[in-house]
Amino acid sequence: MSGRLQNRVAIVTGAGQGVGEGIARRLAAEGARVVIAARRAKTGEPVAQSIRDSGGEAVCIVTDVADSTSVQTCVDETVGHFGRLDIMVHNAFTGGRPHRLEDADLTKHWEDMSRTAVWASLVCARASFSHLAASSARPAGEGAGRLVLVTSPSGVEGSANIPLYSAAKAAQRAIAKSLAREWGPQGVTVNCLGPVAGSPALIQAFERNPALQSAIEARTPLGRVGDITADIGSVALFLASDDAAFVTGQTLICDGGSFLGL
Amino acid sequence: MSLVVFGSGPLADHLRTGVVVEEPSAIIVPAINADSSAIATHELDDAHIESLFEQPMRSVIQAFQEAFHSGSRRIVVIVPTTSMSGGACYAATAALAEASRVLVKSAARQWGQNQVSVNAVSVEPRWFGIDPMIAGPVSIAAPALLNATQRERFSEQVLLPRDLNEFEALDPVPLVTWLCSSAAGTTTGQTLVCDGGQWM
Repeated sequence: MSGRLQNRVAIVTGAGQGVGEGIARRLAAEGARVVIAARRAKTGEPVAQSIRDSGGEAVCIVTDVADSTSVQTCVDETVGHFGRLDIMVHNAFTGGRPHRLEDADLTKHWEDMSRTAVWASLVCARASFSHLAASSARPAGEGAGRLVLVTSPSGVEGSANIPLYSAAKAAQRAIAKSLAREWGPQGVTVNCLGPVAGSPALIQAFERNPALQSAIEARTPLGRVGDITADIGSVALFLASDDAAFVTGQTLICDGGSFLGL
Repeated sequence: MSLVVFGSGPLADHLRTGVVVEEPSAIIVPAINADSSAIATHELDDAHIESLFEQPMRSVIQAFQEAFHSGSRRIVVIVPTTSMSGGACYAATAALAEASRVLVKSAARQWGQNQVSVNAVSVEPRWFGIDPMIAGPVSIAAPALLNATQRERFSEQVLLPRDLNEFEALDPVPLVTWLCSSAAGTTTGQTLVCDGGQWM
């Protein structure tokens, strides 16, 4: 640990696995006290325990980001437990089944994505704002309010397979830009992270279809998908740290260079 | 040739009467209610999110579907530049606009094989009643074309732009008309900005 986030408190939603887990582990490794906000204790608690076993500080708070009351409760319990909240990372997401736009069923193909990506981004922002602003009001080096929304390259370039996913992920980018403008005077930065990483879902897809892995690696200049902790968590760490104090309203795509269209 | 305009309000009415099409076309104008959408994000309640984002977005998706199933060969979605710039106190509205804009790209990717071209036209926020000072383009550079207010603001640093009458040169009708023409068949998935060069 080098302690870049020493004394800071972070909530990471969807941290029971995949990208969220990688981000939580990386923030904890830099000294942040981390809340593993997972829908199921079955996945969230082992991550928290593993961080504690490594010398970090973490608790699991069962949170359903599709439920605004649950998000508010998570924030309240976090502040109650740790006394502050400096960093909110909203990563949790449900949905993304392939569909044709002309046949898409709003209940089946849109609702979960809208709730967990768009609504939850706004609700996480709403619930955390006063605490993030309070963090930025602390003396330099002792706090800095940060909101990081995990989006996708599809939110920039669209998607031929899951069009409504691209819409939901695009909405998050507009929310980040809006909040960057809105919260700038309070010193709170808001950014998006667009990863392509070896999440459990992607690894399962590779196991079912090895050609998919080859195709993705072939189109990626760096020739591989990202590691959830070393590659993606490190970018989230940068955005959450004091090093990124002058970066706001941006989308950082971390995918090994396969998307170059910004 | 048929034209369907999904949406209501002055901009939708203006497009409905002004655009002439050569191909079966649909224009989608998201239901942005700027009168009530400038709300600090930490004060947004669930009812706000429902009315400012969820319901209008569902209408946009359904408009895409109806346009496709009715045989439109050209689909144009009109959004404010707030979609790309964001806007303080307009988070939910910007989300609606940007989700609609990027859905254009996905639709273009899926429907290209059906000979359907799908594009977005991004217009000055004021067309939607949005305050451009807090939800318009952010740039320290001067726009390419200037209205009277901008000419005063940028007068000491701008060499060339010609005067711009309010809205006259920002009218999206000619651009939308072209996108609904036979000539625009291979232009798809694009966002064309019609704001006098404010957003670049």
